Parts: sequence; structure tokens; C-alpha cells
Amino acid sequence: MNTLQRLVSNLLVASALISGGVHADQSVLRNRAIAYVMTDLFWSVYQTPGAIQECPQGFNDGPREQFEQLFPYHQALTVEETQLRQEIETWHPTTDSDGFEFFQVEGGISWGVNLDGEVGLNDFVHPDGTPGIDNELYRAVGCIIGFRGPDGVEYIFQNKAIADERYNRMMIELTEVDDLENDDSVTVSVYRGLDRLLTDATGSKIVPGGTQRVDTRWGQKLIRKIDAKIVNSKLITEPIPDLIIPWQNLNVPSIQLIRDARFVLDLTAQGATGLLAGYADVDTWYYQLIRNDSTHHLSNGQISGISLYKALRRLADAHPSLDTGENTAISTALDIKMTQVFISHSPSQNAE
Amino acid sequence: MKSWFKFNYASALPFLALAMPASTSSLAADESKLFTEAYRDVPMPLEFRVEATPEGPVFADANGKTIYSWPQHKLRNGYSGEAKGSPACYDEVLTVTAGLMSPYPAGIKLPEIDSRLSCTDLWPPVLAEANAEEIGKWTVIERRDATLQWAYDEQPLYLSVRDQQPGDVQGGSRRRYGGDSPAMRVPVGPPSLLPPGFAIKSTSIGRMLTSDKNESVYSFEGDTATSSACESKCLANWRPVVAPALARDQGEWSLFERSPGVLQWAFRGKPLYTHLRDQSSWSLEGSDSSGWHNVFTQDAPSYPESFTQQASLAGNVLADANGKTIYRYNCGEDTADQLACDHPNDTQVYRLAMCGAGDAQKCLQHWPYLIAKDDEVSSNRTWRIVLIDPLTGRFAAPDQEGAIRVWSYRDRPVTTFGGDKQPGDVNGGGTGEWRGQRNGLKAFWLRDDYMNGIL
Repeated sequence: MNTLQRLVSNLLVASALISGGVHADQSVLRNRAIAYVMTDLFWSVYQTPGAIQECPQGFNDGPREQFEQLFPYHQALTVEETQLRQEIETWHPTTDSDGFEFFQVEGGISWGVNLDGEVGLNDFVHPDGTPGIDNELYRAVGCIIGFRGPDGVEYIFQNKAIADERYNRMMIELTEVDDLENDDSVTVSVYRGLDRLLTDATGSKIVPGGTQRVDTRWGQKLIRKIDAKIVNSKLITEPIPDLIIPWQNLNVPSIQLIRDARFVLDLTAQGATGLLAGYADVDTWYYQLIRNDSTHHLSNGQISGISLYKALRRLADAHPSLDTGENTAISTALDIKMTQVFISHSPSQNAE
Repeated sequence: MKSWFKFNYASALPFLALAMPASTSSLAADESKLFTEAYRDVPMPLEFRVEATPEGPVFADANGKTIYSWPQHKLRNGYSGEAKGSPACYDEVLTVTAGLMSPYPAGIKLPEIDSRLSCTDLWPPVLAEANAEEIGKWTVIERRDATLQWAYDEQPLYLSVRDQQPGDVQGGSRRRYGGDSPAMRVPVGPPSLLPPGFAIKSTSIGRMLTSDKNESVYSFEGDTATSSACESKCLANWRPVVAPALARDQGEWSLFERSPGVLQWAFRGKPLYTHLRDQSSWSLEGSDSSGWHNVFTQDAPSYPESFTQQASLAGNVLADANGKTIYRYNCGEDTADQLACDHPNDTQVYRLAMCGAGDAQKCLQHWPYLIAKDDEVSSNRTWRIVLIDPLTGRFAAPDQEGAIRVWSYRDRPVTTFGGDKQPGDVNGGGTGEWRGQRNGLKAFWLRDDYMNGIL
């Protein structure tokens, strides 16, 4: 093959890869399987310019602003009366009022999924017009600066952590795939990977084609297997009763627990983009946030853990406690991006 | 310098006696526990000596008490600690916060002002006589009250009132600490005796030998001091630590020619390697391969025999007999003198706030002390059973009603967490201010595969 022929051949392959759907006989499917590794994951927040539509009253105050309002003459007070009082409220939260008005999302539009199959009065409408969207977490965090892209502190830290920290290396593998455009029965396995992400020469752009080993040691309890289908290149999984997402930034290994979790992802040969939706366990969600951030980083995102916990409990909409009847989980959706990766299932990668 | 290598048996002996685990049979079963770290013999005033400790060799006063420095440390809103040659620890009792961290401002009144101690109450300076003679890196600096203080490498030197016996390092640690930790006090000692290209890291499991690029160093059971069993395919995963052509055997360090003209370092009779598949600094991953081990100049003192190790999502944690993860409370005040508040003799206001919203009973529910069984005895000076008054968190007298026998790490009682349900859960890790580094709790990690050398 001469240089020109090789160039044309490469262009044809690249063109096939860039196009949306891929059939089983194309090279990216190996043994009827394809896998993706997570590169971006964050709570889905529908934003309009200036937040005028969803947050007409503005954004919530954070710990610094609340401290100034509560203790304008802090020099006359003790650590117990000020700093530790706020830390106690943060780490031992209650549903009692903190005296601050909480601005929750007021708009009617949200990203997300109809999780309960019903169209309720409080449900959002998807930007594409689909009614019945369940995303009460968005209602709670949508008017908090730290949760909004592109420069909210949570948004920045989480995506940086996913790229940098192997602890967060979540992967899905689709098997028994006959056609990546339409297949009414595929199996999806969820794993954690062990390896760094493959990047281009800049080190910052994650590229497809990397290899990941499966973490069957520390990550055994993260493994899930579910049925799914592919419709017009969109992967739709059955609900996973209890999906654990390893979630670490700033060196505090923690988790998110999503009940009835499902992936809705647009698939290509290079990657998968879409939503991971379900019901987040409220206490797990809250303590992940404050353990990873503590009050300093919460302050940088104007996130009052004290106020937010009350909103989470108030807006929780699923999985009532058998003891109290109060809901313990809150509907949510996460924006997720994944890049194609080859998974190595070799049992002993370290064999010498 | 008298010799390139000197293994200080005299100094090691007191430590060995103190570090003797509950069962001497386990000590005999693992000879490596007998080793202490060698150090470079440096000139020093006659009134000081070198003492073996769990943190490696340290300088000690005539009574054997560990000597510390307080290096300058950058905090969120300024610096604390001491610049070289500038003592900053005095007898002034501070009354307000310094605002060195975030988000809380300066000027808030500190707790328990009436009984609060000064910096020098807790950290007595190592004073020098008027006729003290400087030698080597030991110099004398003048404090603002005109007293003279010893300094090493220009850092003013102190003792800790928390240390009671030779070899104690209850006052501080050489373990790595980040910008969000308090400005720590650090044991000071002679340089470790290492060839160029090596370093030692203090960890929760011992003094780990690494390259000077923070790569873990390993040995293989199949090797001898003069031969390597790692050849051909093995070398795809393991890189011999080679030595310069002019290097020579020294003490515990030896060389052998693994191939013509190529010298490989060996330590205590075992050739050394780095592991090409390690994915982070100070890794333990290579030790998963059969026959391969990380190398330590000395192990950490044994934890109690009733404790267990549990696998979590991020590595191994120390756990109680039932598999519940063990946590340590950390506390440093937001003050100019950065005094610790993590010891039973310190104010308990911070700890009670974090563990139980100010309520001691809630603390016992959320973060129960790790009770020692009746037949258990202290393992060593690091893992010790202490008597605690559960309602105050302070040490209790032997005959005090309601006192409980609990396990402590360096005299700080350890706990489990009520929110952990299964072995390997670390749901309490990072609880508190600054992710558990300043007023909060951190899990006791024994292996870190995901946190970049947090051990």
C-alpha cells in the first residue's frame, strides 16, 4: 500500500469511527463487546442565561455570608458560640429552620428522566418537551453557585478528580452486542478500572482506545450486571437497585449511592454521552459532599451545608423509611461522558 | 563524620524494649522487627544524644526526650511555624483565633481561656547555657527574652510535654502533612544513612525505603546478596536499582555485579528494584506479586493482636476485632501558635462538638472509644491502653468511677464509627473541619492505593 492509499484508507476508517452508529462487524466491537470509561460526571443542572428563569431570586448564600449575618460582632463571641456552632449544624444537621430563606429552583424545565413513570404536578418538563421529569436534586442545588457550570467549585473539582484519581475510574462494558445502533438485548456490566486514562500528547485530552484492567480486588463491591437495550444508538438500561459510584476528590474516598439507577446514553464508537439517573440516598449524598469539601470548599461555592440538608430532606421523593415514613432518597440525574476503552479481563495482570 | 555507616545498637535497645509486642513469639517470627534505622553520625553537643524512635533516629536531650522543630508552614491565609533562626513559640497565652484558615475570621475568643496554656507550656524550648559551644549544624540563637536556645540547621528546638520516656514521639511526626493541616512539630534527627538516590518516608506501617523520586523500592525472596533471580521476563516489570561504578559496600548496603559492568544496590542482603507497574508514589502495589516486598528500614510498632486489617474501596484500613474501621481524631487550633487539641489533656471543646454536637453521650454513640478487653495489655508505647473518663474525654485516675480502658495511638484514644456497618466501610473518614485534618476524624490507613501516599 503506497502513501496515498494508506492515507485514503485511514480517512475511511476515521470517517466510519466519527459517524454515529457502529455495526458489530466493525473493529471497535470485539467479541460482540464494547466498553467505555467515565471521563465526566456531574449533577445535571439546567441553566438559562443569568439564571433568570430558574433562580429569579438569585443565588443562595454560603457559610461565609451566613456567618457574617449571624455574627456581625464575632470578636465578642467564643469559638463555641460561632465557629463550632456552625460546624455542629453542618455535621449534625437537622430539619429545623436555620432562619435563612432557601432559594430553590422555580423554573419548570429540567434535564432528567421520568423515573416513576408518572406525570406529577411537581415534575419538571424536559427541554425537548417530555413531561414527568423527576429531578428534585436539581430543585435543591440549582440556585447554588458551586453546583453550576462551568466554574462552580463542585463542578470543577469533580471532573478534575475523575481525570486524575483512579478511585473514580467507573466503566461500563456492553456485551452480547449485535448492533450498536439497535439491539433489543444487551448486557451492561459496571466496573471500576485500575489504570490511568489514555490521553493525547498534551496530557489533558482523553482519547479513545485505552486499556483498563478491572478492579476485582478493592472494587469488587462496585460490580453490577444489568439488562439493557439499544434504540437508535441510545443505550437504555434496566434500573440497578443500588448503584455505588466511587466518588473522591481531595483525598477523601467516599461514595454516592443511587437507587433504581439507570443509564441513558448516546453511543458512538468513540464514546457515550447522556444521563445516569435514579434516586440518590440523601444522607450518603450529603455526607459525601461535606466530607470531601469541608466548610472551606463549601464556602468557595457558596454552599451552606446547613441550609442544603434541610432542602434535601424536604424535597426527598422516594424510598420512605420503614421507621419514620420520611423519604430517604431524592430523584436526580447526572450528566455523564464516557470514552471508548478496551477492558482487559486477564485474571493476573501483575504475574511476573 | 566518623563513619559513613553506623548502626546505633545502644540507641536501638531502649526502643526495642519499648516496642516489644504483646507476644514475643511474633517478634521472633519476623526478624525485620529487630531492625532500627541507621543514621549518619553528625557532630553534636555532648549534652544531646540520638534515640531510636518509631519515627526513626531523633535527637534527644540528656534524659532521652525527643527534640522537635516547628518548621514554617503555609496555611490558607498566611504562615505559621518558625522561619529559620526566628523563635515564635513564647509564654504568651493566646486568647483569640488567628484567621489563618477559612472560612472563619480572626479575632474569635478561644475556648477555656482561664485554663489555657501557652506555647512554651507545651513546648519548652531547648535552652543553651551562656557558654554553650556551637558545633556542626548545632547553633545557639537568642530568644526575645534574652535566653539562649539551641537550634539545628537554624530551626529552634523544643521538647514536648507529651513525651514521657526516651523514644516517645507523642508530640509530632515526620509523616507528610499538607497545606490544610496545622503547622506541625517535627522530630529532628541526624540524616538517615542512605546512598545517594534513596529516601525514607515515615508511614503508618513503618519507615519506607524509596528512591529519591518517591518510587517504592522492593526486594525479592528468591534473591541473595550476590545474585538476582529476576532476569529476562521478570525485568519487564521490575527495574534493578543500579549504582554508580564507583559505589562501594557500606554497612547494611552492598553491591553486586548483576551483569558485566552493571552494579545493583542491595540492602540488608537483598537486591533492590523498583516496580514499573506502580501507579503512584510510595506504592505498595508491587508487594502483591508473590515473593516481592516493599523495603522498610524499620517497621512501625505492632498494633494490638486483637486488631484486624480490612479491605475498603481505597485500600486496607486498620479495624477492631469485629472488622470496624479504626479512626484517629486530629485537631489543631486556628491560632498563631497552632497548638494541638487532639490529646486528652487538651481542651475537649472541639472534639465534643465534632463527635456529638457538644454532647458526650452522643459522642459515645457516634464515635465509640475502642474498649480494650480485660485480658489485653499495652502493646508498646505507640499502642497503649489508657484510662478515660467517657463523659469528659480526659484521662481518668485508676480508681475513678466510670473510667473505661481504651486503646490509644500515641496517647490519643482511637474510636470506631457508628455509621460504619460492614468491614471495610470508611464512612466516617474525613469527618470534620478540613477533611478531618484540623478538627475531625480520619481512618487509620494501612495501605493506600488511591490517595497518593496518604499513609
